[in-house]
Amino acid sequence: MTWARRTFPDVSVTEPSGADAVPPGHPEVSALIPIVRRVVGSRVTDRTVADDLVQETLVRVLAAEGRVEAGMLESYAIATARNVVASMWRLQDRARRNQHRVVDLRPPPTPDEDLLAREEQTAVVRAMARLSQRERELLLAHEVSGRDTRTLADESGSSAGAVAAQLNRTRARLRVEYLLAVEGAEPPTDRCRPVLLALSSGDRRRQREVDADRHVVECELCARLSNPLLERGQPRDDVVRIPIRTDADIVAARRAAREMAARQGFSSTDLTVVATAVSEIARNIVRFANAGVLVIELLERPHAGVRMVAMDNGPGIPDVERALADGYSTYDGLGLGLPGARRLMDEFAVASEAGRGTTVTMTKWRRGGRP
Amino acid sequence: MNTETTLSDAAGDFPTLDRQDEEQLLPQLVAHLREHRTRLRQEWAGRIGDTRLLHAMTPQEMAAETTSVYDNYVEVLETGSVEALQRYARDLSERIIPRGVETHEVVGIVLLLRDVLARSLFEKYQRDFGLLNRVLDAYEPAANRIANTVAVSFVEERERVIRQQQDAIRELSTPVLPVRERLLILPIIGVLDRERARQLTEQLLTGIRTHRAKVVVIDITGAPAVDATVANHLVQTVDASRLMGASVIITGLSPEIAQTLVTLGVDLSKMNTIGDLQGGLEEAERLLGYTVTRQEAPAPR
Amino acid sequence: MNQDPALVSIMRQGPYLIASIHTALDDSQMVRFQHDLVDKIGRHRSRGVIIDVAALDVLDSFGSKTLRNIAEMARLRGAQTVVVGIQPDVALAMVLLGMGTVQVETALDLEEGLAYLDDAVAPRAAVDARDGRP
Repeated sequence: MTWARRTFPDVSVTEPSGADAVPPGHPEVSALIPIVRRVVGSRVTDRTVADDLVQETLVRVLAAEGRVEAGMLESYAIATARNVVASMWRLQDRARRNQHRVVDLRPPPTPDEDLLAREEQTAVVRAMARLSQRERELLLAHEVSGRDTRTLADESGSSAGAVAAQLNRTRARLRVEYLLAVEGAEPPTDRCRPVLLALSSGDRRRQREVDADRHVVECELCARLSNPLLERGQPRDDVVRIPIRTDADIVAARRAAREMAARQGFSSTDLTVVATAVSEIARNIVRFANAGVLVIELLERPHAGVRMVAMDNGPGIPDVERALADGYSTYDGLGLGLPGARRLMDEFAVASEAGRGTTVTMTKWRRGGRP
Repeated sequence: MNTETTLSDAAGDFPTLDRQDEEQLLPQLVAHLREHRTRLRQEWAGRIGDTRLLHAMTPQEMAAETTSVYDNYVEVLETGSVEALQRYARDLSERIIPRGVETHEVVGIVLLLRDVLARSLFEKYQRDFGLLNRVLDAYEPAANRIANTVAVSFVEERERVIRQQQDAIRELSTPVLPVRERLLILPIIGVLDRERARQLTEQLLTGIRTHRAKVVVIDITGAPAVDATVANHLVQTVDASRLMGASVIITGLSPEIAQTLVTLGVDLSKMNTIGDLQGGLEEAERLLGYTVTRQEAPAPR
Repeated sequence: MNQDPALVSIMRQGPYLIASIHTALDDSQMVRFQHDLVDKIGRHRSRGVIIDVAALDVLDSFGSKTLRNIAEMARLRGAQTVVVGIQPDVALAMVLLGMGTVQVETALDLEEGLAYLDDAVAPRAAVDARDGRP
């Protein structure tokens, strides 16, 4: 990773806060620290990197404080934080484009490096063996012999673009096969490989086709493998995934939903409405299922909105109609989970299959968005 | 407009324009327009004056705007980048729409510029009729694209401004009035649709916090009708106000509307309803702990 | 007192307890808050409880239910509860969710909450004092 930690002359980097980036006398900016930290924190897992980004954002917001209209400072800060994160990703991405040549598949060095290196090699060999003859040749010609895509295209009579695409697909497959080899596991279902492949290549359309999100909820192996694959894929700003297992995840989910909706320009009431609905739905997952995921996606068509899809691997709802009727409750609640969330949303659908799990899809459009 | 059709008809007799031709000719053309910028711009400004377009602008503004439009125009011809022009057109629209400039004026000046420039090209190339035709063939589609962009941007911007004004009017039409300390009145006047009802609720709730209101009187004397949606919003407003610690009194409930509410299943017994605004205000004062008038008893606290 | 002091604070003021929630709580933190508060009501023989929820971003069915539970348990222990500081957005979302008619007394803010308790509790306190009860 070539992304170097940034230091600021007036700020001690050991201080993991961000508060000290704001000189006294800027109460508005200081008040933004929590939200900025959330925005950054939801995108960057490394704490020290996140702290640096928070500080960088605050420095920018401070500089702009005078220019920003009153009341707009928070949205300005959110936008700035996103930009700061995005530009870090761009840097990382550039580094990564060249990275696969040398270190793509190498885990961080540890004391057992030697042993690991050998296991690693075996895994790579096994992964390579799973590729087709043609895929192997292509990969070796490009990565090892260093022949560029144009030369390869001329040899095979296709275009450089096509060869590059093929290389990308092959690398995506190699990553999947490598992870499987490291795990020493054979995928339990026929769906695993296509799903992992779709995740590995970062192809959203393909992921939808194979219903990747759903599968990851249901399949433990794929859930485990999806993390390194998703981390590696193109970071996308308009979709976030929040794994839901514990009480704390409910809070994280509604925060993320609120923040996504804020980016769509929702009114403050609708932000709370969205957060409340998410809270209800996420709680259902924690109460009734082992695990689930909330996928929040920004919509632009036919106008600005937010779609939230909550999936779990629970027992399923035997009678969806009844569950949507007021007063239905199987745990010690008020029976408002599903019907309440439905009242808060513009569109709401529940699909459930006994023994397999439940998917709740809900959409909220920005008000005044309709022409 | 007519010149355009005649010319393109005539172009049928000559070798058709190809892409390369356009690529070669446009730079020449742009160079010509840059070279004669001052003269052409003045001629254009003169024509605008003659046709009495943009009479809402002062001569200084005119000079500034025409220079700027001219340069943008030539730039778009050169680069083919419509975005720059779009940006400029929106910007221009934003400034001139409040002064009542009409769509036909904006389209008019751009068409005038197109024609002024076309004429100058005509003069320059008139000796070589074949070349002239090719020049015009390269120029016209580009020029029309520009005219189109400006018109569309202008209309879009105007619609946006109109929508904004409507929103502002809406806001004005549902004022939350602080009558005295801790007491708000919300007179509902006119037809309530879903959107407005929601807006009104939000305004009221924010008002409760701002004015630290303890009692709210919602007067619906001015609302002609109440349907299920509005009734629903009314109930929601009462409940939400209560959650913020404020009591709601509803006044001006006509027998018809009361009947409607009951039919819709609204439990009126849970709502504090009082016939007229005066009675509502007296009740509000009582709730706030003020003695209303005449009574000998002191206030409860 | 196993509640993280950063999340909530429970202060005693005369016959009242003032409980402030300082940040969004998850369900288990909410339940712990309920236990701590009810416990303190008993220990201090409080006559009134103010719960300040101004910092809550959301009051969903669970949060509302917890507040209702606290009020009910406090009542059984002889204390009046008033919830203060529900924000406009939160109030509307609660109503849309169907929690609008939850049976808890509410007031705008701390000051109003205290005024409410003085009205609701003071007469009884006066009676108690006359009868020689604490």
